[in-house]
Parts: sequence; structure tokens; C-alpha cells
Amino acid sequence: MKDRITCVWLGAALLAAGLIHSAGAAAQEPGLTEKTIKIGVFSPLSGANMAYGFDVINAAKMYYSKVNKEGGVHGRQIELVIEDDRCNANDLVSAVKKLVEQEQVFMLNGGSCSAAAVAAKDYVVRSKVPWVMLNASADGALYPPTDYIFGAFSITQYAVGGSVVDFGQQHLKAKKIGYINHDDAYGAWNLEAAQVTAKEVDVQLAVESINPNITDVTAPLVKLRAANPDMIAITTYAKPAALIIKKAHELGITKPIVLTVTGTANMSQLVENVGNKDALKNFYVQDVLADAPGGPKIKWVYDMYKEYYPDLDAKPDHPQAYMPYGIAPAMSVVKALQDAGPNPTREKVAENLRNQKFDSGVMAGPIEFGQNDRAAQESTIYLKFDGTQQTLIPGSFQSRWKYKG
Amino acid sequence: MTLDVVFLFLQQGVASGLVIGSVYALLALAIVVIFKTSDVPNFSQGEMVMAAGYIALYLLVFRSMPLWIVMPATILAAYAGAALFRRLVLNQVARANGSPVNLVIATLGLSYVLRGFVRQTGFGDTPRSFPPVVEPQSIMIGQAAVTTLDLVILATAVVVMAAFFWMFKYTKIGRAMRAVGMNPKAAQLVGVDLTRIHMIVWGLSGGISAIAALLISPKVLMTADMGSIVTLGFAAAIVGGFTSLPGAVVGGFLIGIIENLVGLFISSRAIVLAPFVAIMLVLVIRPQGLFGGRVEIKKV
Amino acid sequence: MSDKTATVIPASDTERPRLAAPEKMPVTQIALLAFVAAALVVLPFVVTGYVLYIANLLLVFIVLCLGLHLVIGETGQFALAHAAFYGIGIYSSGLAGNAFGWPFPLSMLLAGVVAGAVGVVIGTVALRMRDIYLALATFAFGEAMQWVFLNWDQVTGGPNGLRISPARLGDLEILTDRQAYPVVVFVTLLMIALTIVISRSRVGRSFRAVRESDVAAMAMGIPVRRAKITAFGLSAFYAGVAGSMFATFSTYIHPDSLGFQTTILALTMVVVGGLGSITGAVGGAIVFGLISEFLRQTPSYQEIIYGLILIVFMMYAPRGLFAFIRDQMGRITRG
Repeated sequence: MKDRITCVWLGAALLAAGLIHSAGAAAQEPGLTEKTIKIGVFSPLSGANMAYGFDVINAAKMYYSKVNKEGGVHGRQIELVIEDDRCNANDLVSAVKKLVEQEQVFMLNGGSCSAAAVAAKDYVVRSKVPWVMLNASADGALYPPTDYIFGAFSITQYAVGGSVVDFGQQHLKAKKIGYINHDDAYGAWNLEAAQVTAKEVDVQLAVESINPNITDVTAPLVKLRAANPDMIAITTYAKPAALIIKKAHELGITKPIVLTVTGTANMSQLVENVGNKDALKNFYVQDVLADAPGGPKIKWVYDMYKEYYPDLDAKPDHPQAYMPYGIAPAMSVVKALQDAGPNPTREKVAENLRNQKFDSGVMAGPIEFGQNDRAAQESTIYLKFDGTQQTLIPGSFQSRWKYKG
Repeated sequence: MTLDVVFLFLQQGVASGLVIGSVYALLALAIVVIFKTSDVPNFSQGEMVMAAGYIALYLLVFRSMPLWIVMPATILAAYAGAALFRRLVLNQVARANGSPVNLVIATLGLSYVLRGFVRQTGFGDTPRSFPPVVEPQSIMIGQAAVTTLDLVILATAVVVMAAFFWMFKYTKIGRAMRAVGMNPKAAQLVGVDLTRIHMIVWGLSGGISAIAALLISPKVLMTADMGSIVTLGFAAAIVGGFTSLPGAVVGGFLIGIIENLVGLFISSRAIVLAPFVAIMLVLVIRPQGLFGGRVEIKKV
Repeated sequence: MSDKTATVIPASDTERPRLAAPEKMPVTQIALLAFVAAALVVLPFVVTGYVLYIANLLLVFIVLCLGLHLVIGETGQFALAHAAFYGIGIYSSGLAGNAFGWPFPLSMLLAGVVAGAVGVVIGTVALRMRDIYLALATFAFGEAMQWVFLNWDQVTGGPNGLRISPARLGDLEILTDRQAYPVVVFVTLLMIALTIVISRSRVGRSFRAVRESDVAAMAMGIPVRRAKITAFGLSAFYAGVAGSMFATFSTYIHPDSLGFQTTILALTMVVVGGLGSITGAVGGAIVFGLISEFLRQTPSYQEIIYGLILIVFMMYAPRGLFAFIRDQMGRITRG
């Protein structure tokens, strides 16, 4: 009986204490000294989604080291504080809060998982910390636009879905497109753009939404076969994509297949997983890099990786497919800091980011924001892939989706 | 939807259901074999399959060994690993005499460890496969397309089931296993070596996992997280009654067919939901599963 | 090593472990309680918002674990749908706040009641099931609910997730972890107190009787059906309240966070803390929550370390962390 009363009494006291006590005003420009500037970096470094973040962070790290070696930004060396966000909303928020409140970083550069990244949106905006995402698309945090959050450096899902439909209509003359997406956040976003674009270019869509954990893809494909489309677009991740391409061949589907960038992580492994080159007779891939992985335009990234991480480079599967995606966000951060002058403030940096435009040389299109646009990269290229050779297909293919604020 | 299409969908749905169902059946068998003798639902079963798959991948692809060495080597390694885990870890957990759920948490611990190790190798992220045991060729059964590999998996599931059924029923060691499952104390009193039986059971379950891994890896693709497929093995086992070997196989087929028919006739989105609804429906109607014995009421 | 342990604890395969039954608190425990209380009061004045966020999360998990403790630890019913009830709680209180601007104490109550009501339904349906069948049926329900969260777009926002507007009470809006902390602490203490009361009441005794044996409980005239359904409902109520606590300091929820992993995490906390005791549930949540947060610092090995911790605990501290500490202390004082 006694301890019950104690509990209640204690709780009431706490409630009163906490409500009166409010957070002290933030010190002027945290994370900044004469010689250094502190940046918080986070991404999945463990668990199932490690492949989305591990080498992306390494790429950003090596770019920052290069900048530091060349004298830093306005004489300041960039200091990184790196956190693992496990690709999970609670952990990502805890990483972000740790970086902002405990480590007192000047700005954030992180996030590889879209749904998890959206969870930090309100907090970051309230704290007025500029946040440049790594390779997360996180369209949910980019629309409606905020003053502090910038992302989609690899590509926005709204561009992925729209452009693949445009490609089908223009290049493959498709009137009806079978569209396989995931039932997650990514899938919802790219489907929305695909539907808008399909309506505008007068194409019919037959949609099958599947779970990323699906083990048997027969049912959606048999249904698509019955719908008889002129082409099949796959916007799934690598594993379901390989299963679908393989099964389509088994089921005797010969229509062109276009795989979007969501599933193109490792093309040689894809060929092996599909197990039959005949399945790739009529096969196209979408990409967002300026060149095929390892190609001449972006070779310097791979060389740099080898120089900075010789041990990792020797390991199988390294650099991981998404590694180059880490360069453009780091460039964006450095450029915004440079443009903010020798006495940067968070507000000035955010302002510069909002007006930023540059060519990274790594991604397919320019990195460009605008007063109402927080998605950095919206261009795609298409390659015909026969299992060994990738041939670039000329032309530009655009999503018709526009944010209606 | 015309009648033709309905008929085509039905054929393809049942055929593909049997095919993927045989994968679930194999996993369910590995689960049931352990549960029958020790009442432990093995939460690391999926990771045992995954680990065996990576052993096979390593030997086949990176050491370029021939299949006739790789197959027995993988099965043996899985047998030894599983038996050792039972001997070194679970024996101690059982002896420590906590709640029965402790054994389950220990298997959960193993699943984390195995996943962590495979990720450390650097091969765990990209979906991988190795050359299938038999070259898959498309075969038409009626209007339904399946492959030769599918038929081999199906046959294996049935053969493994029959072999274990026979062993449990007619061999001395099988009878000892059943005795341990019914009443471990009494079994011990009549001279059954509990530790040995448990080790063998775990080893055999590891062996089934290895066979499953060899057959299904090219079909479902390997990652460090492929173990999550075991959820469907659990679904198959529970629908079949959890202690019944034929039940596990029938449960596997049922889950596979339901998944496909739901995908074809209702929605692709609902495919992943189907097994869970099946579990709930079966258990509400028959709380002991389709082939399970009567529910025992816990006495004093 | 293993032989030595075997002599300390009598080896027997069938005998159930003696689980701590609630007793009168000794003076040392009251002192400990006072210390914890003081720490809770001082905490917000000395640490950063990040630490308070972690504290808030831990407190949510404490309430989740208390719910699991009631149904598994006290009543012996292996229900594995806790994440579903937690999710129902988050969405109900989030939607009540978003759509109707309800003050948070009211939406908390709503969250608990909605989750509790669903729990009662599930408990009633699951009455005939036991052990592994019950565990897997509730597991299936949990997975099905996650699917519903992901696909019921109009209500939950589906794969886009749901933005939760700040919790409010009159003119007061909770915008930071610091503001949420006292609320979360208060509700947690309330729930701990409630658990103690339940545990000592006739209801708690009927729970434990059912845990030990259905038949014996029936023979003693305990309404077994009602006890089981009550345990389910209460456990779900706790999870619902935990969900609404989460909603007070979080701005976003996505179905990804509401899968079996969350249930398993809570189960692990309860078991490692010590199945069947309130201290075990609370302590397990704190210790394992902290371990999980610290492990973020060792990314590449964390799965292996986490797995090994589970295995070693089950091998050498089978009745939970606190029973283990007590045993060790007892051994030391005995000399």
C-alpha cells in the first residue's frame, strides 16, 4: 500500500518538475571551432541492410579525407562522428539525437533507408539542423519540402517509377506495361509516379505489388502473363528481381523486361542467380550513375576506394554496389560549407543547399535543389544488358510526376 | 475472368504450390524431428539451412569441388554442427533447469550468431546461388510449367519424410527417440541415453537442413537473412500438427498451394498473409493442427 | 564447469522452477527503490535529450515487458502477438490525436482499451490452444496485424507510415523528449504499481494457479477460462498503453517497427531478466535495452555478441539475471 502511494506521489512530482524545466537555448553554432567542423554521419553498419550503408559511408569518408588533405574547408578540418542506424526507425532517431545533442555536430550527412529516415524528419526540422542524406530516397521526408532536409542523391523513387514507364512507351513502344513493385514505402512512391506518367503518355498499367520477403513469384507472373502486356517493369530489390526474371523465362514470357535501379546492385551475380542467359535476351536495366560500374567516367571513385581501403578492396563483393552513391552527398556538404564562407551558420548552409546546383560527375544527372525541390537527382540512363555487355540507350526519359504542394 | 483462365490459374496454382510447398515441407520436417523428441521449437532452423547453404557455396564455387564431395561434406558438417550445439549448449541449458522457454531463447541466440558469422565473411549481402543439383528444365504438366529441379525437390521431401517415418516406427533408435519424446524420465529409466539421442536428433535435423539448403538455395537465393523462410516451415509444421511427419509434408503442400491460389485469385499483396491466416483458421478449428494428437491437459 | 553448476542446481527435467512469488519488501529493497526514484528525478536535469530519448524508449519497453510478464510469466500462456497490440496502441492514440486532437491522457486510455479489447477477443478465440500451438497462433495473428498496418492505407498510412502530431493537453504541446519524460515516467510507475496490485490480488493468484496447472486450478474452483482471458486482455492493455507512451515522444510510425522482432525483443528481456518476477521484467528491459544501444558502437560484431549473450545467459543464469545475482551474493555471504 505504502509503495503505491509513493509511486503516485513521485510521478506527480516528476511531472511538475519536467514541465517547468525546458530545454536551454542552443549555443551558437555547435560543432564549429577555428580549426574543425564536426559532421554527423549515420547509416546501417550492421544487420540485414548493411549493404545499403557500409561502403556508402566509406565513400563519403574517403571524399572528406581527400578534402581534409587538400586543406579542408576554409581552413577547417572536417571531423566525422559515425553512428550505426541499423536501418530501423528507433535506432536511426537515436543515432540522430545522439549526434545532434550529445556530439553537437554542425550538420548531418546520413541515412540509407527511406522508411527509417522519415522518422527523424520532424525532429531535424524542429532542431533546425541541415541534413544531407546519403543514398536514402526518403521521399516522405522530402515532400512537402522543409528548410533543412535534402536527399535522394541516388534518385527519387518518383523519378524511378515515372521514367521507366516513359522509357517503355518511347523506346519499346509499349501500350500496356506489367508493373511489379513492392508493397513498402519505395514501392508506393514509384508506383504513384508510374501511374501519373502512364496516364499522361497514354499507357495502361497492370500492377502486381509483392512483399520483399516473397519466396514464390509464380502467382503475380502468371497473372501478368494473362494480362498480356507489351513489357514488364520490375521495381523490386535484387533478390525478388532475380527470382522474377528467372520465373518469367520458365513460364515462357518473352516480352522485354526492364529492371529499375532498385534491383541492379550486382549485375554479374544477377546473371548467375538467373542461371540462364536466354532469360536475358530482351532485358534492359535502369541506372543512375554517370557510367556503368567501373566505367571510365567513374573509374576514379573505384581507384580512390582501392587507395583508401586496400584491405576491404581485397575482400569479396567489395566495393559494394552502392559505394559510389556516397560521393555526391559528401560533395554537396563540402560545397554548401564552402559557399557559406569562413563563418558558416546552420541557416546559411541550409540556404546554400536550397540553391545548390552542380555536376558530381558520378551520378547520371546534375545535383540540383530548388526553392520547392529537395530531391537532388532525378535523371536515369537505360542500358541494354545481354548478360555480359551493357549498351547505353540514347534518349532522355522523364517522370511526369510533379509535387503538388 | 473467363473459365479458361480460371482453369489455367488453378492448374498452375496447384502445381507451383506443390513445388514451393515441398521446400516448406523439408523445413517443416527438420523442425518437427526436433520438436517430437524435445519439445523445443528450433528458432535457429532457418539459420542452420542458411549456414549449410554457405558451406556448400564455399566448397562448390570458391573451392570448385565436385558435387559428389560437396553433398556429403555439407550434410556431415551440418550434422556435426547441430549435434555439437545440442551437446555443448542445450544440454547445459536443459540441466540448468530454468523455464522451458530458455531452450528456445538459446536457439534464438544461435540464429544471431550464425547470421553474424556469415555476414563477417562478406558473402552475406548480395543474393547468391550455386549451380543447382539438377539442371532445371521447363516441363509442362497440363498447362502448368514446372522444372526438373522442382520435381527433384518434391521427391526428396517425400523420400525424407518416408525415411524418417520408417526410422521412428521400426528402428531401435527411432523407438528410443519416440520414448524420449513421450517421457524422457521413463526412457532414461529403461536405459536410453538421453544425451546421445538428443545429439542424434539434432544431427539428423541438421542433415535435413543441409539437404534442403542444397536443393532450395538456387531456387530462393541465399543471403545471410534467407533463414526467414523458415517462418513458412513453421506454418507448415503447425498446420500439419507439429508432431506428425506426414502432417509436416501435407502442411507444406497446403501452405504452398494456398499461397499460390491466394496470389492468383485474390491479390499478390495477400500472398505473405495467407500462411498466417491458414495457421489461425486451422488452430481455431482444430487446436492441435490437422494431424496432431489430442491436446493433453496439463495435470498436477 | 558445467558439472559444478549441475551440483548447485538440482538437475531434473520435469520439475518446474520455483518462480518468485511476490512477498513483502525488505528494507534494502525500499532503499533501492528510493535510490531509483531519486535517479529518475535527477536524470532530466543532468543529461542530454539523447539520453532522455533512450530513457523514454526503455520505459516504453518496461511497460511492454510488464504486459508480457502478466500473460507469460504469471499465467504461463505463451502469447507472441505483443508487437501487434503495441502497434494498435500507437495507431489508436496517434489517430485520436491527429484526427480529433484528443488530449494525450484520453488517447492513452483509448489506446489501452482498444488494444485490451482486441486482446480479449484473441484470448477468447485462443482458449482451447496451448503451448506451442498457442504461441504460433498468436505469432500468426501478430504477423497478420503487421500486414494490416501495412495495407490499410486509409487509416494507417500504409507503407508511407503515419505522422503523429505532437501529444497535447490543453495548451501544452509535447515537442521534445525532455517534455515527454515526466509523462512517460509517471505512466510507467503507474503501470508498475498496477502490476504489483494485480499480482497480489485474487486475480494474480488465479493467474499463477493456471500457470501451474489448469486441472488443479479448476479443482480449486478458479475460473480458468476467465483468468486466461483476463490475462490476455490485461497484457494487451499494457502493450496498448506502451504504444501510446511511444506516441507521446515520437513523430512517426512505420509498420516495419511492428514485426515479430519487437515481440521477440520483449520476450528476451522478460526471460533474461527472470521469468515470473516483476523485478525481472523491469530489470530485463533496462539491461537489454542498454545492451542493445551500446552494441550500436560495435557494428560489425553486434549480432554475434548479442547471440552469445543470449546463449551464455541461458546456460549459466537460467532463472534470470536477478536470480543469478542473488545466488552469487548469497554464495559470497555464505563464504
